[in-house]
Amino acid sequence: MLAGPAIIVMVVILLYPLAYSFVMSFFRWDLGDSTPFIGVRNYSDALSGHQFQQSLRNQIIFSIISIAIEVCAGMGIAVLVNSKLHGLRLARTLLLIPPMIAPAVVGLNFRWLFNEQYGFLDAILRDLHLPIVPWLSDPNWALTSVIIADVWQNTPLMVLLFLAGLQSLPQEPLEAAAVDGASPWAAFWTIVLPLLRPIIMIALMLRIIDTFRTFDTVWLMTQGGPGGATNLVTVYAYLLAFQGIDFGHAAAVSYIALAISLVLLAILYGVPWLMAKRGAI
Amino acid sequence: MLNKLSRRHFIGGSAAVVAGSTFAPRFAIGAGATEIRALLITGGSLYPKYWEKITQDFTKKTGVTVKYDLLEFTPMTSKEVTLGAARSAEYDVYSTHTAQIGSFFNYFEPLNKYFDASDLADFFPVSIKYLTDPKTGHIAAIPRNVDARVQYYRKDMYDAKGLKPAGTWDELIDVSQKLTGGGHYGLVVPGQGDPAQRTFADLLWQAGGEWVDDKNKPSFNSAEGIKALTFYRDLILKYKVTPPDAVSYQWDENSSEFSSGAVYDTFDWPGAFASLSDPSTSKVVGKWSTAPYVKDKTAVSCAVSHAMALNSRSSKKDAAVEFIKFTVGPEAQQLNFDEFTNFPSRQSIAKQVVAAAKGDQAVWLGQLQTTIANGKEWPKLPGFSKVCTIMYGAIEKALSNQASPTDALNQAASDSLDAMTQAGAFD
Repeated sequence: MLAGPAIIVMVVILLYPLAYSFVMSFFRWDLGDSTPFIGVRNYSDALSGHQFQQSLRNQIIFSIISIAIEVCAGMGIAVLVNSKLHGLRLARTLLLIPPMIAPAVVGLNFRWLFNEQYGFLDAILRDLHLPIVPWLSDPNWALTSVIIADVWQNTPLMVLLFLAGLQSLPQEPLEAAAVDGASPWAAFWTIVLPLLRPIIMIALMLRIIDTFRTFDTVWLMTQGGPGGATNLVTVYAYLLAFQGIDFGHAAAVSYIALAISLVLLAILYGVPWLMAKRGAI
Repeated sequence: MLNKLSRRHFIGGSAAVVAGSTFAPRFAIGAGATEIRALLITGGSLYPKYWEKITQDFTKKTGVTVKYDLLEFTPMTSKEVTLGAARSAEYDVYSTHTAQIGSFFNYFEPLNKYFDASDLADFFPVSIKYLTDPKTGHIAAIPRNVDARVQYYRKDMYDAKGLKPAGTWDELIDVSQKLTGGGHYGLVVPGQGDPAQRTFADLLWQAGGEWVDDKNKPSFNSAEGIKALTFYRDLILKYKVTPPDAVSYQWDENSSEFSSGAVYDTFDWPGAFASLSDPSTSKVVGKWSTAPYVKDKTAVSCAVSHAMALNSRSSKKDAAVEFIKFTVGPEAQQLNFDEFTNFPSRQSIAKQVVAAAKGDQAVWLGQLQTTIANGKEWPKLPGFSKVCTIMYGAIEKALSNQASPTDALNQAASDSLDAMTQAGAFD
C-alpha cells in the first residue's frame, strides 16, 4: 500500500505511454478522423522501406564506431588520468564539461565548427594551405562529423566510469605482477582489463542504449542529411511522426529499434554468461 | 464544531473545495464564453508585443479574454501535430501555415460559414486556395499574411561590374559566374529539408512542370522536373556559383550568407527586407536592392501564408472565430505590415501599403505583389506531408551527388505514389 503512489506514477509515466505507442504501431494514425487497424503493415513497410534500411545502416555504423572509439579512448585517458602526473586534477575537472552540455547545444556548436565558410576547422586547413573538408555537405564526411561530435561529448563519461573502476581495483595483483617482472602493458592486458570487465560491460550497455537514442545532436547538425546520409533511426522516426504525420509508422520504427537494441544487449550479456556456464571463463 | 470535525469529513470537504475551484471556472466560462485559448506564432523580439496589443484590443472590443501561448514556428508545428493526434481541445485557435495545412483538414473547423463571399474575395486567391481542402472545399484556415520570395542582390557589386540582375535561368548562371571569385560567390541557395523543397518547387514550376498530374499522381519526375533538379544541382556542383556546402543550408544560412557580404545574390522572404536594412543584423545596409525572381518557361514561384485556424473540438467556436476575424482584419494586417513588413493577405490592404510606400520599398512591394499574384503551392492531397519528407531526401541526394536527378526523382515518385495511395489520395 505504501508503494501504491510510486507504482501509480510508474504506470502513468512509463508503462502507459509505452503500451499506448505500441498499440498505435498497429494502426494508421494521422490527424484524420479515423484510425483504422492495419495489423503489422507499419512494421512490414518499415522493414522493406529503403529509407528505414538506410537509417538502420547508418545507426549501426554510428553505434559501432562511436562506441569503439569512446570505450578505447575512454580507457586510455582513464589510465593516463589515474597516474600521478602533474595537472591531472585539473584534467579530471575539465573532463566533466562535455557531458554537462546539452546535446542540442553540442549539435549547434559543431554545426558552426564544421561550416566550410566560417568554421574553425576549415579555417585552420585554409591557413595551412590544405584542402578544406566538406564536413556536413558530403555524405561520408557528414556521418563522420556526427560521430566526432558524439565522441567528443561522451568519451569523458567513459573516462570517468573507467577511472572509478581503476581506482577501485585491488593493488596486490598488480604489485605481484610487478615483482614478477611483468611489463605495464602485460599487467594491463592480463590483470587490469579482466578485472574491469564488469565496468566495461556497463559502459557498453549504457552507450548502446544512448546511441540508439541519439537525436538532438544529429538533428541540429544535419537533420539527417545530406540525402539521409546521417539519418539515424530516431531522426527517421521523428521525420515520420512530425513531418510525415504518420504516427503509427513512426511508432513501428521506434519499436523495431528498441527490439534491435535489446537483441544487442542480450548478446552482450548472454554470450559471457553462456561461456561462464560452460566453464570457458 | 472544529472538535467534532472528523478526519473523513475534513478530507471529503477539502476534496470538494479543490474540485469546485477546478471545475467552476470552466462552467462559468462556457456559459458566457468570456475566455478563449490560443497557440500563436512568435519569432524575434517584436511578436510578443504585437500579440499583446492585438489581444488587448480584441478584449476591449468584444469583452472576450484571450489567453495565449507563443511558440516559434517549428516547435509550434510539432506541438500542433501532437495536440492534433491527441484530438485535444486545449486550444481554441491556432496559428498555422500553408505548408502544414494539408495534414490538419480533419482537425481544423471549416471556416466557410463564418466568412461571407465578399470578405473572402478580398484575400489573395492563391492564399485561400491552398488553405482549402481540395476534396471538400472546406477552408481550414484564413491567411494572415502572404510570403513569397524575390531576388535580393548587391547593387554596388553589380554596378561595379556593369551587371544587371538576372531575369532568366541562363542569366542567373552568367551573372553569378561573373561575380564568383576571391572568396565570394555570386549566389546562395538553401539545399536542405523544407527550404530545398521550396527551391525545387519554384524551379519545377518555372520549368513548366507540376507536382501531380490531372489524376493526382506524382509527376514531379517529368522531363521538366529533371531539368529543374539538374539546374539546381549544377548551380552548386557544376557552375560552382554557390558556397560548396550549400546542400547543408537552411533559411538561416541562406540569409546570413547574403547579409554577411559573402555572396552577392539570393532569393529570400519578405522579412529579409527589414533585417537587411538593420545594421545590427546586416553588413550590407544600403548596398543591396531587389529584383523579381528569375524565370524559365514561367515566372511562377511559391506563395504561402501564415494563417489562423479554429479547433474543431473547441467549445467556444463563436468567440474563437471573432478572434480569428480580428487577427486577419484590415487593421491587424496593417499593423502586421508596419511592425514586420509582412505582406498583407487582403488585396485591399496590399494595395494600400504598396500605394503608401516610397522608393526601394515601393519597388520591392510591387515585385512581391506580382510574385504572389502568379504564386503557387504544392497540392494539399492526403499523404502529401509524407511526400515532403521523401522529397527532402531525394533533393539532397541529387545536390550531394549521391544520385542523379533522374534516379532521385524516379525513386521519390514511386515512394510518393505508395504514400499517397496508403493515405487514401485516390479513393
